[in-house]
Amino acid sequence: MDKRIAGLSAAVAHALLRAASPLLGTLLLFAQTNPDTVKLTMAPVQGNVYVLMGDGGNITVQTGKDGVMLVDTGFAPLAPKAMAEIRKLSDGPIRWIVNTHVHTDHTGGNAEMAKLGMTGESIGPPRIVAQSNVLNRMTTADPGQPKIPEAAWPNDEYFLPSKDFFFNGEAVVVYHVPAAHTDGDSLVFFRRSDVLSTGDVFTPGSYPIIDLARGGSVQGEIDALNRIIDITVPAKYQEGGTMVIPGHGRLCDEADVVEYRNMLTVIRDRFRDMIHKGMTLEQIKATKPTLDYDTQYGATTGFWTTDMFLDAVYKSLSEKK
Amino acid sequence: MVSLPVFAQVDFTGEWAPLYHEDGPERLPGPELGDYTELPINAAARMAGDTYDADRISVVPEYQCRPHGGDYSMRGLGNLRVWRDIDQASEKLIAFHTHMLAWDSERTIWMDGRPHPPDYAPHTWQGFSTGVWDGNMLTITTTHLKTNYMRRNGIPRSDKAVFTEHWTRHGDYLTVVTVIEDPVYLTEPLVRSDNWYVDPGQNIGIFGCEYAPEVPRPEGTVPNHLVGQNPFLHEFANWYGLPYEATRGGAETLYPEYQKKIANEYHPPDHCERYCKCTSLFDCNVTSK
Amino acid sequence: MTPRLAIFSLIVPACILAQGVPPPSGIGPGAPPQAPKSAEASAPADFTGYYVSVVTEDWRWRMVTPIKGDFASIPLNNEGRRVGNAWDPDKDTAAGEQCKSYGAPAIMRVPGRVHISWADANTLKLETDAGTQTRLLHFMGKPAQTDKPSWQGYSVANWERPVRGSGFPGFGLGATREGAHGKALEVVTTQLRAGYLRKNGPPYSENTVLKEYYDLHKERNGDTWFTVTTVVQDPTYLTEPFVTSTDFKKIPDGEGWSPSVCTAK
Repeated sequence: MDKRIAGLSAAVAHALLRAASPLLGTLLLFAQTNPDTVKLTMAPVQGNVYVLMGDGGNITVQTGKDGVMLVDTGFAPLAPKAMAEIRKLSDGPIRWIVNTHVHTDHTGGNAEMAKLGMTGESIGPPRIVAQSNVLNRMTTADPGQPKIPEAAWPNDEYFLPSKDFFFNGEAVVVYHVPAAHTDGDSLVFFRRSDVLSTGDVFTPGSYPIIDLARGGSVQGEIDALNRIIDITVPAKYQEGGTMVIPGHGRLCDEADVVEYRNMLTVIRDRFRDMIHKGMTLEQIKATKPTLDYDTQYGATTGFWTTDMFLDAVYKSLSEKK
Repeated sequence: MVSLPVFAQVDFTGEWAPLYHEDGPERLPGPELGDYTELPINAAARMAGDTYDADRISVVPEYQCRPHGGDYSMRGLGNLRVWRDIDQASEKLIAFHTHMLAWDSERTIWMDGRPHPPDYAPHTWQGFSTGVWDGNMLTITTTHLKTNYMRRNGIPRSDKAVFTEHWTRHGDYLTVVTVIEDPVYLTEPLVRSDNWYVDPGQNIGIFGCEYAPEVPRPEGTVPNHLVGQNPFLHEFANWYGLPYEATRGGAETLYPEYQKKIANEYHPPDHCERYCKCTSLFDCNVTSK
Repeated sequence: MTPRLAIFSLIVPACILAQGVPPPSGIGPGAPPQAPKSAEASAPADFTGYYVSVVTEDWRWRMVTPIKGDFASIPLNNEGRRVGNAWDPDKDTAAGEQCKSYGAPAIMRVPGRVHISWADANTLKLETDAGTQTRLLHFMGKPAQTDKPSWQGYSVANWERPVRGSGFPGFGLGATREGAHGKALEVVTTQLRAGYLRKNGPPYSENTVLKEYYDLHKERNGDTWFTVTTVVQDPTYLTEPFVTSTDFKKIPDGEGWSPSVCTAK
């Protein structure tokens, strides 16, 4: 843990967390964890695609005769452990890394995994793909935070609505969903395996983090969820079909995303109505506007609480465009 | 020496037709808006029901073909077929299977002692079920259910619920006790029981469903009533002369002493005007008498 | 009997003895006849205790007096509907018949508490605080021909047994499966006085035969419940048997016990 933070009182530290970004929050959270005790779980999803859980955000792993592709890379200290799990599936080189967004629990392992993933078959370090805003933010350090090493930066950024390539026998399509969780979010679709990695646009166990400081917004988040629903196709009776790997949490499909989208849309509608009536944030909070969802998605402690979510929704919908 | 393998205790195999001699109007045509009676729900569930707009079922395309959850299925919204898998080598019962009319839902009830999947496994409409015998009662535990409804007027059931059933067969009757434990929306387990009778001549047809938006709406529209603005919530109480508070559900309303609390606030109409007769799909209209 | 069959008939019980399964009474050389155990001693499940009904079904037909003419879910025939629509609670009260909806076919649906105990080794007693009713469930009983019909009728009880089979755990020779014996209490009640299936007058006649099956179940949170499946067969007023199942949760002894008299309204 950062010694400066460790030396502060809990109240001040909490205030810093609230003022700073969730990025800082997740870093602090992980800093308190002993990597040796972290349990990583690799699970098959569908086709060529697996998911590695327990290392910050979910890491999507695609394997085949061409090598290995990752969506996100978790935390740097866990990279060796994560790599050991990947090597149980494939000894091929990591040729592609796609970052779904800038946060450290998804990009922290970029440099380490890129290095550990090279083999005799590598012709160079892996391509690290991300939306260009991810690169912009990584090259500009947060105030008071160490600079992110260049080896971790995306080296294959894109700025058009999407990017695609072919790997391990299937098309991989990377879609930019603007101003959602952040301004640099990507969805990654494995077309033949029929799997979609969403990053933190979709986190079924908690309210979405709307990182306003990094260009996130409620409406953008809803648009991104609707985009996921457009891409996914369920099998019989709204179940199965396209499998969805969220940024954190269990494996899902379209129906799970629909519930999440519905929740956020209803909350947005309520806030919009109350903001239109001129209610302040405190007045809105007094009505308990998310009571029906709080037990399912909310938290009273941790780095993203219900209170912080309400703040973000209010600010996102109130700000003048 | 002849070896005696463990046999199944009771065979539920067969075709079963549901009986609607309890809660016919709620189970057949559907619950009325604002009717939260019988449910030990909390404030979160109440708010979800109050802000639910039934238009959602048609306007949200993904809801048009959304099936009942495995727990709601056992309220008997359709005929049931049960069959079993017997391992040929050991003659042991491996699983029961169920097929229900509604959305052609099929479920496997594993009887071979296998564990439930880990928390990160996908959830399904029917969930993951395992069964154990207690005498001739089959107790089934189901986890990994997708979010669904506890009642079709907006009262939800979360994906954190655990669903338990107790199946007993008495002659030609199958009684299924259902227990829903939902830490998100219930303050105590919801225990109910429904009955089927054996119907060997039954033929369960194909349900089939394809979603088809019929009214142009902006993408992502999710019909809902804003908090405090649902105009329909008092209808149920008014139609049946019930005190409004009693229709809001909650554990207190389920116990006998609640009768005394509402005795002086119940003012029923002189004669039945709604759902006076309802024992099957064909005689359960709002004006049936 | 052929020598092969004679040898087989000795080998089969020998194998079963070797596996620790006792043979049924009377089988095997020198096995003494066993005296019949009392119902209490042979009970496969313990139903005794206090229970409360938790009304999660048919709430508006049980927690309040249903609206006149509201017979939803009951398979009444036209005559039953006609009689039901003539319901007059004041008249019933004046005639001293305010217990008409507390008869055996209906009493388990009336919200209240139930106390189950052994009146004697072969008679289970079921008391309700609602309407202060008492039912006696007679094991090995038989109704006397001269008994007058009553609200609770005469109940014959059994621990549920398979319909056929010697009880000999077999392996496909037409005998009963081991473990097929249930733990349910089966009760058949006749000699019922005409009454109401619900408080608002849907009738049942004196021709009614009531069958009930009581099942105990324990839940994950430790609560014990029983569910009674009630089958009312009345060709006079019903188009088919009227089947309901009612759930009761076990409570600490006497908790909330609140005897009340019958009311017609």
